[in-house]
Amino acid sequence: MEEMVVELDSGEPSGPGSDRRVADAWESVIAALVSGAEPGEEPRNARATSFSRTPFKYLDLSDSLALLCSHGLGRLLGVWLLETLQVRLSSSVVPEFWSGLRQPENELEERDRAGVLLAAFRTLLDRLEPFLSGLEKLGLWQEAGRGGLNGPGPRALQDRAFTTIRALLLFSPPAVLQERVLEFYSRTFSVYMNREGGEDGSEAPEGPDGAACPGCAVPAPRCWSHRTPRLLEWVSSEAVTSILHRLIEQRMEQHCRGEYERSFLLEFQEWLELVLGWLGKVFASEGDGDAAETAPSAPGVHGSKPGGSVLKQWRCHMHQFFCRIYVNMRIEELFSIIRDFPESKPAIEDLKFCLERTNQRQQLLSSLKSAFESRLLHPGQFQPRQRGESGFYLTRSGLGLRTREDTVRQIVAGLTGDAEACNDLASELSRGDPVTLEMQDSDDEGNDPEDWTPDPTDAVPDKLGSKRRSSDIISLLVSIYGSKDIFIDEYRGVLAERLLHQLNYNTAREIRNVELLKLRFGESHMHYCEVMLKVRFPRVAAAAAGAGFSSGSTRTGNHQSPTAFRLNGDVHCKKGTKSSWTLEELSVKLGAPKELVHRKLAVWQQHGVLREEAAGRYSVLETGSSREKVDRGVMLIDSDEERDSNTTTQSEQREEKLQLFWAYIQAMLTNLDSMTLERIHSMLRLFVATGPVVTEMDINELDAFLQRKVREHQLIVSTGIYRLPKTN
Amino acid sequence: MASQNLDPAAAAASSAAALKGSESGSSATKGSVTKRLQQELMTLMMSGDKGISAFPESDNLFKWVGTIDGAQGTVYEGLRYRLSLDFPAGYPYQAPRVKFVTACFHPNVDEQGFICLDILKEKWSALYDVRSILLSVQSLLGEPNNDSPLNTAAAELWANQDAFRAHLHATFQK
Repeated sequence: MEEMVVELDSGEPSGPGSDRRVADAWESVIAALVSGAEPGEEPRNARATSFSRTPFKYLDLSDSLALLCSHGLGRLLGVWLLETLQVRLSSSVVPEFWSGLRQPENELEERDRAGVLLAAFRTLLDRLEPFLSGLEKLGLWQEAGRGGLNGPGPRALQDRAFTTIRALLLFSPPAVLQERVLEFYSRTFSVYMNREGGEDGSEAPEGPDGAACPGCAVPAPRCWSHRTPRLLEWVSSEAVTSILHRLIEQRMEQHCRGEYERSFLLEFQEWLELVLGWLGKVFASEGDGDAAETAPSAPGVHGSKPGGSVLKQWRCHMHQFFCRIYVNMRIEELFSIIRDFPESKPAIEDLKFCLERTNQRQQLLSSLKSAFESRLLHPGQFQPRQRGESGFYLTRSGLGLRTREDTVRQIVAGLTGDAEACNDLASELSRGDPVTLEMQDSDDEGNDPEDWTPDPTDAVPDKLGSKRRSSDIISLLVSIYGSKDIFIDEYRGVLAERLLHQLNYNTAREIRNVELLKLRFGESHMHYCEVMLKVRFPRVAAAAAGAGFSSGSTRTGNHQSPTAFRLNGDVHCKKGTKSSWTLEELSVKLGAPKELVHRKLAVWQQHGVLREEAAGRYSVLETGSSREKVDRGVMLIDSDEERDSNTTTQSEQREEKLQLFWAYIQAMLTNLDSMTLERIHSMLRLFVATGPVVTEMDINELDAFLQRKVREHQLIVSTGIYRLPKTN
Repeated sequence: MASQNLDPAAAAASSAAALKGSESGSSATKGSVTKRLQQELMTLMMSGDKGISAFPESDNLFKWVGTIDGAQGTVYEGLRYRLSLDFPAGYPYQAPRVKFVTACFHPNVDEQGFICLDILKEKWSALYDVRSILLSVQSLLGEPNNDSPLNTAAAELWANQDAFRAHLHATFQK
């Protein structure tokens, strides 16, 4: 006030006679503004009188305004009001507000704290009300140009007032305010959701309380929003944001996590609308400044008006936020989602929808990649049934897969139904006709062309050839390690192991697998596996079982190569017919080199099954006394077998190859009587299907082999013509 | 035998057969028949069956030579018979033509070596293969069907096994 007087004095250009009159006019206008009453009306706000401390003579309002304006004081009215507001705020209103808020410290119940918060805000509003309404009135006068008044109008004045209020009140808001506001909004929110949404109460854990609350909660938006929307938005937006974020997250945790078979988009859309309804109430009057002034803030009215720009912003914000946390959650779960395909299709659709809005594809890729790396190769989790879009990801993960050394084995095992849980690959193997699969390059989904969508634009240009479309998962997986030879080699190893574990005659599954793989890779490649199945296996089983050594066999068989096992089996067979053998005899009988036979015999010696009687002479121990060695033997065997575990050694491979060729040679000589070396060679080349193991034999190698057979009296040669010795 | 294999006439016949094969069906069909025969050959090689054997007689996979040893315990024991197997382009949907090359005194085998065996005629099925044919012929030797003989003399003599064996071994020519 003193300032004002100074201002008035300094700004007064007129003579002393008019001073008094101007002062009266000023007081009259001020009184009209802050009292909210024009002359002639009952002053409605008693407190307004407290501003006029000096007695003055009431002048007609219009005259006063005209007088003030003529003295150039009209523009000062607004300045004075704001200035006064500021002084009042900093001297009393703000301290009062904070002390009111802090006053009854910790002991209070949540509900009482809400009451305190409300009371503080109410007091604040009461204190500010005269100024705010005065400013508004002034603004309206300015707009109407009353008494020659001009100015920025009510809007601008109000803006300035709020700037001042915010600046002073919230210059350094104590944490307690944030807490209180958060608490309060949480409460109002749950109440609102209970009433409006008919929700199941999961948002309002304090169910019984909820009923009591509307009484204190509902007035709040009413009274707060009435005049201080921007003030509150500023104070509360943080609180509201965190409430909403927390609630969305909570709701998502409860409803969506682990649930892939249902789309949640629509459900959340509805729920978000409900939330926005509440937001509408919180920021009710913000929707439209004028409407806020006139409309009685009836609950529900504001919420239904989505036109407000703030509400619009919130809506965007909420949707964006929903999408983001939904995507985050789904990315986290993507591996499981893929595992559950196709049941998880709705989740994928949701994810796709949200992903388009959140630009998190890179995050998804890196997350999925690491998930693949860490989880994919564990048996039982590998079920690449995903197609379409996921096929693309599978391709990308391929590069990672290739670096794992156990990949091949895992895939082979999975592909052929080794692990019980991995039958999907096996069914993939039996799915459809591979010939046609190979023919189709990319559009093999058989889909409507309308459904076609391009690859993601950030997809790495195809590095794995044109057949990376995932329908042919097998080709894809095989291509991961580059060559089907590696795959087939590995398969042989797996097959050999599996046969050795299995001592019954049930080869149906293996035969089926080989047949399927034959369809896939062609017969020549699978030839060798077929040989193993058709010939070796039954003999091995028969030999082992028949000779009664099956217990020993199973124990040692774990890592034995097919040859090794076959030899073992055959050794037993021969044992059955004669009590003791020399190494030479065995070698001849078995058609295997002496060193190999010797090594295998050593195995059985260690088992205590065989005994070397004299130099190079072996016999079977039938007594149980030597069985005690078995346990020790197993250990020795294990180390022995370490040497030729996993894959056949080179010499064994060679031996097997020779065995196969020998079968052909015997057959051709049986039927065609006699042949030259060249003829045998060309026949072998014609009719022996070669593969990764059975490679062609060059003529010198064959010559040496035939010479060996001649020395072993299994073959007769005269003048370069070979024939079989007479059998009878 | 070697000279026979190198016989230019035989080579010409084989190329003619190949030509016929490609005429009668698409090359794909022929390819699949070849595959099947190669497969059967391997099966046979790996089966380790005693007393039966077969092998393509030349580079023509459609013409095989078969060998059957008379089964133990039958009058044919100790005798080895040679057969020829001709596979049509429609194999395995059409039966192969199988006949004895070695003269065979048997109720169901005629003088030209033609065999009267149902599975080679009306009972043929694509599920049979060379191995099953050879095994069937081998067992036919020991168990003739005397109701519909091609060789009536053999059928009549069959009842007297000793006489049959004596005649068989006396007349057997490799």
